[in-house]
Amino acid sequence: MVLHKFGEKLYSGLVTTMTSHLKEISNSIEAAQGGLFLDELNRKWAEHNKALQMIRDILMYMDRTFIPNTHKTPVHELGLNLWRDVIIHSHAIQSRLQAILLENVRRERSGEVIDRGLMRSITKMLMDLGPSVYQDDFEKHFLEVSADFYRLESQEFIESCDCGEYLKKAERRLNEEIERVSHYLDTRSEVKITNVVETEMIESHMHRLVQMENSGLINMIVDEKYEDLGRMYCLFRRVSNGLVLIRDVMTSYIRDTGKQLLTDPERLKDPVDFVQHLLDLKDKYDKIITSAFRNDKTFQNALNSSFEYFINLNSRSPEFISLFVDDKLRKGLRGVTEEDVELLLDKVMMLFRYLQEKDVFEKYYKQHLAKRLLSGKSVSDDAERSLIVKLKTECGYQFTSKLEGMFTDMKTSQDTMQGFHASHGSDIGDGPMLSVQVLTTGSWPTQPITTCNLPAEILGICEKFRNYYLGTHTGRRLSWQTNMGTADLKATFGKGQKHELNVSTYQMCVLMLFNDADRLSYKEIEQVTEIPTFDLKRCLQSLACVKGKNVLWKEPMSKDIVDTDTFLFNDKYTSKFFKVKIGTVAAQRESEPENQETRQRVEEDRKPQIEAAIVRIMKARRVLDHNNIVAEVTKQLQSRFLPNPVVIKKRIESLIEREFLERDKGDRKLYRYLA
Amino acid sequence: MLAGYSTVSSKAKIKGLEKIDRLFNTYANSSLGMIDPEGIEALCSDLGVDYTDVRILMLAWKLKAEKQGYFTQDEWQTGLKALGVDSLSKLKKALSDLEKEVEKPSNYEDFYTYAFRYCLTEEKQKSVDIESICELLNLVLGVQFRPQIDSLIEYLKVQNDYKVINSDQWINFLRFCKEISFPDLENYDATQAWPLILDNYVEWMREKHS
Repeated sequence: MVLHKFGEKLYSGLVTTMTSHLKEISNSIEAAQGGLFLDELNRKWAEHNKALQMIRDILMYMDRTFIPNTHKTPVHELGLNLWRDVIIHSHAIQSRLQAILLENVRRERSGEVIDRGLMRSITKMLMDLGPSVYQDDFEKHFLEVSADFYRLESQEFIESCDCGEYLKKAERRLNEEIERVSHYLDTRSEVKITNVVETEMIESHMHRLVQMENSGLINMIVDEKYEDLGRMYCLFRRVSNGLVLIRDVMTSYIRDTGKQLLTDPERLKDPVDFVQHLLDLKDKYDKIITSAFRNDKTFQNALNSSFEYFINLNSRSPEFISLFVDDKLRKGLRGVTEEDVELLLDKVMMLFRYLQEKDVFEKYYKQHLAKRLLSGKSVSDDAERSLIVKLKTECGYQFTSKLEGMFTDMKTSQDTMQGFHASHGSDIGDGPMLSVQVLTTGSWPTQPITTCNLPAEILGICEKFRNYYLGTHTGRRLSWQTNMGTADLKATFGKGQKHELNVSTYQMCVLMLFNDADRLSYKEIEQVTEIPTFDLKRCLQSLACVKGKNVLWKEPMSKDIVDTDTFLFNDKYTSKFFKVKIGTVAAQRESEPENQETRQRVEEDRKPQIEAAIVRIMKARRVLDHNNIVAEVTKQLQSRFLPNPVVIKKRIESLIEREFLERDKGDRKLYRYLA
Repeated sequence: MLAGYSTVSSKAKIKGLEKIDRLFNTYANSSLGMIDPEGIEALCSDLGVDYTDVRILMLAWKLKAEKQGYFTQDEWQTGLKALGVDSLSKLKKALSDLEKEVEKPSNYEDFYTYAFRYCLTEEKQKSVDIESICELLNLVLGVQFRPQIDSLIEYLKVQNDYKVINSDQWINFLRFCKEISFPDLENYDATQAWPLILDNYVEWMREKHS
């Protein structure tokens, strides 16, 4: 027909015929009842497709020539369009189709089984008819209805479930929808429907879930519900600010608990226990972040900043951490494998990094290390050195050079003693055995030189050593640090029982007096030994008032030492141990006045550091305004401590007075470096 | 300075100098060769001003007197020449002119700084005690900035962070009076380069008025 120029007639004939045919089909579909509707539609559609194919084949010539020339719709497409217009968009069918499809989905959501294959065919049909058909006729309404459905359901759930249960349900629904899409919807619908679920089930109820009493985020953390937490993380990740919410709530919880811990006087009584608690806390949160929060870096950072915040709330944190390390290096790490030692030290380093006042830590660490070295009480030399290396890596050479100096002194002293004994061995004979540690003044924590009269026997050998040492090291000065030494005494008591007493030097001086007298008054002891009052009282207390260690007897038998006390050698002393340790050399947390003193010294030490920083900065910049100086100084010193802006200002003024700096005459905000 | 001086003949010049010197000798301590505190006191009574009057300080400034309580002959000569006076009566009149001269903005800061330096009586002294500072503040700034000075003096007397004031702090007192609105102190910014003592003063004031 085309060839004979009847193309138009053919085409319009096709249209008319198909249209009327489809109208009939439409009627038959409409007639189908209930569940058969879809079935009928589907069947007719399949038939139509087959027919279309055939028609296209038959009319191929027209399709290829007449239609392009006249810009008419190609046969196949025409067939689809007609199907769409006559059937799908027919008034009766359109709304019914939509309703049935949505009803099926609803049924499936309530747990019923539906014919997924059929659904698939129908949606595919809609997609074949054009993406806008699928979207306008189905998807749009599908999403709306789903939103309503989930809004209701989530409201129900939130009233009746606890957080963990709710999340499980939400997760299940989410997975369901994804699966639904894969089975009978267009893949592009997936992100849209999941969005709906996320909005209705998660985003709308985010806050309520997190804050839920007895089951919310905090409870999950406390009870270590890793699975629930992981689920929350995955779900909340899908909505904007979901993770931010979790992170914020967690952070403020950590800060609060941390703050409580840091300000609880009960907790602070035992520094070692306190620090252990901190480490446990960190471990707990680390575990949560690794197992439930996928090692999320933002969470790690939040955790770190929280710890940094509350650790520095207590000004004694540096001291306590040092005491913790001291305890471990003294006894805690005995018998622990090298690996575990490293693990523990690394954890300690992590706490160290949080400290703002690292210079305070340094001060205490030095003190405690000194005590450990001098009393020979370190569990592992390797562990000590390992920690020093870690500190050096973290803070640089200056931090650890003095500490290393202390180790060197110990080693050198050993060599010195060997030399001394070699040359004086014969001299000593029956006399007391002396062991000296020579400490380089700059490396060790400063100690006051106290008065103390050593017993004659000791003086003798001390002098011998002094001469020996100064003989080989001219130009040096030696001062005996009687407040830091120890002694081992062989004591024989009333019934002949012998014990070896390990005591401090002060205690030795006191006890030796009893070789010549059975009873001595406090005043007499004080006079002869010239030991400072505070130390003497503490010393006598440890010799006379401690159960199991009372080698001295005190009259009257009260707890405190007073000037009017009298002391007697306790003949009746017994102990089941041969060796008895009475000396008090272990590091303890400082008393309040001692703490104040240390703090003052730290403040004094900081002044020159601040000034040096100011001068360095001004030398480089020549002219700078006040705020920038403060910022730069803070930056330069932050690895050691956080300088107080008021102190910085004071130092600037001091430098102005000493004519290192001047104020700019023109601009009042500026300072100028004076060469 | 009288313009006429430069055109007067040398004879008149010498005559003028003679009068100045004669005036000098009236008050000078002959053994010292300069006017000492007693002499200044006498001068003051002759001039009809109290020796604690700020105008005497201004005179010292004009004379560029180095040492507090003393005028050397050189200082006297140069100063009186600059004032254009050679007699007591002329000096008396010149004092009120001097006040106006000092108040000129170009001179005021110089005078103010001088006032502090004048109090540094010991060798190598760099600071002045609080008591004297309060008096000096009152004398020098009291008239122009009465409320600020009264308040500041009260603070200086009760605080105990500082027992002395140095020149840096001194010069900033003037700037404070000139630049900061009073008594609200609204435009004071402690993060700027003000001396700490003023930061503390402002804090004290704000607490007092809260």
